[in-house]
Amino acid sequence: MSVQLKAKMAKGLKMSDEAFITLLVVSAAVFIFLFASLLVPNFFQFQNVVNLVTNNWAVISLGVGVTFLLVSGNFDLSVGGIVALSGVLAVWFAQAPGGANALASGFGMPTWMAMLFALFGALAIGGLNALFVVRFKIPSIIVTLGTMLVARGIAQVITHGSQRNTNLPDNFGFLGNIYLFGTSIKLPVVLMLVLVCVAVVIEKRTIFGRLTFWIGANPVAARLSGIKNARHQTHLYLFSAAIAGMVGILLASEFKSGFSSRGMLMEFDALVIALLGGVAIAGGFGSVVGMFFGALILATVTSAATGLVLSPDWQYILKAIAVFLAIVAQTWALTLKNR
Amino acid sequence: MSYSISKTRHTPFSARLGQFLRDYYIYLVLILVVVLLSVANLDRFDLFERGNFLNPKNIVNILRVSAPILTLAGAFTLLMVSGHIDLSVGSAMSLAAVVYASLAINGVPFLMAFGLTVVVGVLLGAINGLLVVKLKITPVIATLITLSLYKGVALLMVQDGVSAIKSGGGLKMPGWFNDYGRSGVLLNLPMAFWVAVLVTIALIVVQNKTLLGKHAAAVGGNPTAARLSGVSSNKIVILLYVVVGVSAALAGIARSSFMSLGDPLSGDGMELTAILVVLLGGTAFSGGEGRVLRSFIGALIIMALTVGMLTLVPAYYQTLVVGTVLLIAAASNHLVSRKGSK
Repeated sequence: MSVQLKAKMAKGLKMSDEAFITLLVVSAAVFIFLFASLLVPNFFQFQNVVNLVTNNWAVISLGVGVTFLLVSGNFDLSVGGIVALSGVLAVWFAQAPGGANALASGFGMPTWMAMLFALFGALAIGGLNALFVVRFKIPSIIVTLGTMLVARGIAQVITHGSQRNTNLPDNFGFLGNIYLFGTSIKLPVVLMLVLVCVAVVIEKRTIFGRLTFWIGANPVAARLSGIKNARHQTHLYLFSAAIAGMVGILLASEFKSGFSSRGMLMEFDALVIALLGGVAIAGGFGSVVGMFFGALILATVTSAATGLVLSPDWQYILKAIAVFLAIVAQTWALTLKNR
Repeated sequence: MSYSISKTRHTPFSARLGQFLRDYYIYLVLILVVVLLSVANLDRFDLFERGNFLNPKNIVNILRVSAPILTLAGAFTLLMVSGHIDLSVGSAMSLAAVVYASLAINGVPFLMAFGLTVVVGVLLGAINGLLVVKLKITPVIATLITLSLYKGVALLMVQDGVSAIKSGGGLKMPGWFNDYGRSGVLLNLPMAFWVAVLVTIALIVVQNKTLLGKHAAAVGGNPTAARLSGVSSNKIVILLYVVVGVSAALAGIARSSFMSLGDPLSGDGMELTAILVVLLGGTAFSGGEGRVLRSFIGALIIMALTVGMLTLVPAYYQTLVVGTVLLIAAASNHLVSRKGSK
């Protein structure tokens, strides 16, 4: 009923479809949070809201790159693999040479250099994505599944299928463990928030952002009107890989280890929060703000389920139901609005 | 649709060679992989010696382990030919494995447990088909939703604190549970393998001799044209999803019987393997083109490679090799089909 009301309101205000869906997602997030507060004791607390955001900084960061790519009409399922690869590379480069065994000895680079080179490794995967998708025109879902396996595969070879965490310089753990103003908020969380803000500005206020939408909405028309689709999509893949690389390095720093299974299934979570946030899989439609609140919806649902002492196995079913309802509700609401 | 260019006497040799490679490359790759693996570990001059790839026991072992993916490859091909995809096959397989093991451990006889699990497969496939056709959700998203859903249900069916359904806590797996996936019935190969062969033969017949096969290609090749010429694509798509669901259930039974477990994670990653073998078999990702038999051969190649490789390099190289093969297969597929359409 409230949807109908909003639909009428939207008609009156001549709201764009995108703003409408974003509003819908934001209200859904608020509604679900309030609903969960009724069911779960001690859920309605400011600290809990903070936790929902801070616990999900990694996936939300990845979601920014994935959202831009989805809007341009491309998948990026490689981000989880890149998280593992860049973390492992950073640790490997920074480990002092001549450790007790193969997994304890690395290249002995200074921390900043190790992290920079690891970022290059992440960018290489992004470049590979762009090469296959943009140049060879192979469907992005296949390509990025392949590069996800390749990235994780390299991480597994470097760590012999487990992890590297010894013989590291002390300052390696610095970046991921800075707490701000004596709160529980770490530096990566702030970086994520900055990233989201910058992304919103790029999306709404720059030519680059608008081009992304045009390419996604109608690639042929975009090309014919002189937009350099290939270059633009290449940039998007590189940005997404850079973000994933950064996330991987920060996680490696936070735990002072390079773990080959880190970021497992994160690519699907990033896709899921984008879908929950109203990003259309066909391209040309979506918003970073929507993705952000999509992440909050998912976080609220899973953490409320844990609060209700449901078995953790429930999270898969809840995720399925959430995405299903989101897709159906969004299609339905848009038809209603534009009737 | 794969149609063969009529070969006249005047066709230049290079074109004929190209056509030959397009038609038979998959067999050449299989031979290449087998030859490479056979000589890689050769320390005596007997190819069939224990420890060598071609040792009959080794071959039997690889084929036994391959039963699940061999069962799935054909159905997955037909679905991809129709321009659709099913990312939930791994979860459906896990769920079937758990259902089958639960039935068996609670005393349900073999045939009944088998039949009920297949019915579950029909149901899982039908849910996918209905989401795609009736609710018009994009196949990738629809089956991503059911991937999560089926996995969740499989995990919930196994009680907390236990990783899989197995003997213990007063319940015991019946003696016959292993037979389907392990005991040799013909040429020392188990039922599970022969069921995979039967399914594949049936699907080859479906693809080449029935309207369903032709309509599947029509729906994938040009949905609008198919609809305008009176093909009811909705029915076909639902039917194909059901066929994939049944194959996933059979694959789950095979895996579960082989491992003597109802493991709710046993099918994880199967969707990737399925996509890989189907692409390796030359199926176009966008639909309209693909052969069941070639995917079967593709599955043999991948299994020979991944299992055979274990004797040469440590297991942690597997992900990298699979990913690389996936990229190469996708790229070469694409280049070949682009040349073919010129």
